[in-house]
Amino acid sequence: MTRLSATSPAGVLLDLSGVVILLCGFACLGSKLFNRYLVYYGAQSVALSFAAGVVAYRYDRPELWVLATFTFAIKGIAIPTAARRLLLARLDLKRDVALSTGLSTSLIAGGALTAFAYLVTRPQELPSGLVSAAVVPLSTAVILLGGLTMVVRRHTVAQLIGWLILENGVFLGAITLVATFPFIVEAGVFLDLVAGALIMAVFVSGLTRRLAQATAGELRGLRG
Amino acid sequence: MNPAVLALAAGPLAGTIAGLAGMRARRCGWLAIAGALVTLALATWLLIHELANQRVSGFHDFVYVDPLGAFFLFTVALVVLAASVGSATYVYVEEQRGDLSHLQTRLYFVFFGLFAAFMLASMETGNLGLVFVLIEASTLASVVLVGLEGSARSLEAAWKYVIISSLGVTIALVGTLYLFYAGSRLNLASELRLTWPYLLAHASQMSHPSLRLAFLLAVIGYGTKVGLAPMHTWLPDAHAEAPSPTSAMLSAALLNTGMYAIIRFLAIARAGLGPSYPRNVMLVFGFLSVAVGALFLVRSGNLKRLFAYSSVEHMGIIAIGFGFGGVLGLYGALLHTLNHAIAKCVLFLATGDLVLAYRSKESSEVRGVLTALPVTGGALLLGTLAVLGSPPFGPFLSELTIVRAGFSHSPAGLAFLFLALLVVAFVGLSRTVANSVTGQPPDQLTGRGSRRVRVLAGAPLVAGLTGLLILGVWIPAGLHHVLMSSIRAMS
Repeated sequence: MTRLSATSPAGVLLDLSGVVILLCGFACLGSKLFNRYLVYYGAQSVALSFAAGVVAYRYDRPELWVLATFTFAIKGIAIPTAARRLLLARLDLKRDVALSTGLSTSLIAGGALTAFAYLVTRPQELPSGLVSAAVVPLSTAVILLGGLTMVVRRHTVAQLIGWLILENGVFLGAITLVATFPFIVEAGVFLDLVAGALIMAVFVSGLTRRLAQATAGELRGLRG
Repeated sequence: MNPAVLALAAGPLAGTIAGLAGMRARRCGWLAIAGALVTLALATWLLIHELANQRVSGFHDFVYVDPLGAFFLFTVALVVLAASVGSATYVYVEEQRGDLSHLQTRLYFVFFGLFAAFMLASMETGNLGLVFVLIEASTLASVVLVGLEGSARSLEAAWKYVIISSLGVTIALVGTLYLFYAGSRLNLASELRLTWPYLLAHASQMSHPSLRLAFLLAVIGYGTKVGLAPMHTWLPDAHAEAPSPTSAMLSAALLNTGMYAIIRFLAIARAGLGPSYPRNVMLVFGFLSVAVGALFLVRSGNLKRLFAYSSVEHMGIIAIGFGFGGVLGLYGALLHTLNHAIAKCVLFLATGDLVLAYRSKESSEVRGVLTALPVTGGALLLGTLAVLGSPPFGPFLSELTIVRAGFSHSPAGLAFLFLALLVVAFVGLSRTVANSVTGQPPDQLTGRGSRRVRVLAGAPLVAGLTGLLILGVWIPAGLHHVLMSSIRAMS
């Protein structure tokens, strides 16, 4: 299989969607409203499904088309909608106040992590002109941003979103790096994600109902 | 490829089917035990089969079992059997008393079977991506078990468990991606397959910086499941809040599953990077885990948390064994995996009996176990001695082997540090357990079911201790052979 060069139309589109995905991650990190988290996550997933579609078209791989469709339908639409109905509306969540650092501090930390992602992945060591040299650092940065979101946000719903963003970053890396990734793995990862999100949603609502206001910062029953 | 290999992983699903069919705890328990027996028989058969140098592989290495895999499968199958017996009695008694509803009982057996099946399957596949999927699936299945009791504490433990473990396993997936990245620079992409045997054979052609990153991420990621410090924080909570047979499964089977994945990455990293980098990584995480485990052992008063921290410590010991390396180090580490699994099964199942009788896990409220429940108390005491590495039990032998490896392959200071930490752990754990075992029992203890149930509950304890005693004085020739061929499969 030929490698995707950075200047080919597919390469440019892939690069572009990588940037959009990173920006959505930053938008999430810089926002304080639960509604917005879901909107940005949905937008990020749509960009991801677009990227998967580009790779599918370029390499003519039907299973990637399936993956792109599923990503669009489930992550782009179903999870945000369901989360809005099941969690935000029922629990009446609006503004996230459980932040451990200020917004500007977390944005600066996010910027530093992005720089760090470029530092560790060393795109300059790859054969020049490949699109993976551009997208791998982007996906690493998205992964780190998701992790950061989980760390600085204390509310269980916000942590869930952080995890989902992190998963998106992993997916972006997977589809650009390894077009030879066995399909069953992608499918498995995907099913896993859905199952995981569902179980977590159940837990979040259970926890929130039981503990009145479940921010992870208040989950202090178990220590030592 | 033999279909029996697939049947091996499917064995525990008998309990799942029983749970789905809506059976009562009694029948679910018997079916789970029957399934686990089939699994253990098949795992033993597979081990013998592997010894005759017949690799089992098929479906483009989606199914792949080598001696190392067969050894871990056997260990996990043993644990699944013991935990199934434990579940059959524990859940039965809880259902009889009305502590667990019928729905909770059914949920327990459904997810217990799935949990066991996913873990066994993850050791039967050679495909790295599928390993990720199966280990993550086993996490999701066990989350339900941890949160089964539905109290605020158990829900909190389950939440912590699912969020930290999922994050960890996702990091391991990133490590897997970097392994690809390491290969892609060399134009392997067209035929690169994501399988253990293929990657091990081509490890020397991988790019070094990415392989280093891949190995580190895999150790952090799967290390989260193993409970290596500092990623161990979910472990004491989940072990303490889960029903006791599940704690046995978590400690003796799930941690080993994670360790198995790390060992595979370790083999690839050693082939690709030379011994020193992987060794340093393993030693750092290993010593950190032993230190954290040993220190928390001193201050924890909850028996199940205590044994959980002991698991952190022992996973550290195993990591140190792999870090010291050499045939001695690897031999000791693998043997210790088996010993630790058996010992922790005994301890957690014995604690399950205590929880049923005393309705408490706090060592300050559990007194005089030896007088009140002689079999359980004896198992608790002897099991604690075994897990602390006293002769004549198996863990003594394996820890001694690891220490010997330390003296011959590393600066002597490291081996001395290791011994010092073991002493701290010894004092911490034995002090608390000795207090619980001796003393005057309270007047009122709750019943633990009929005599038949109690005999069934005692069986795995006695069998486990006998096994540990045998392993302490005699390594059967077959086991020696298996360990040596596992070591060959890693290099």
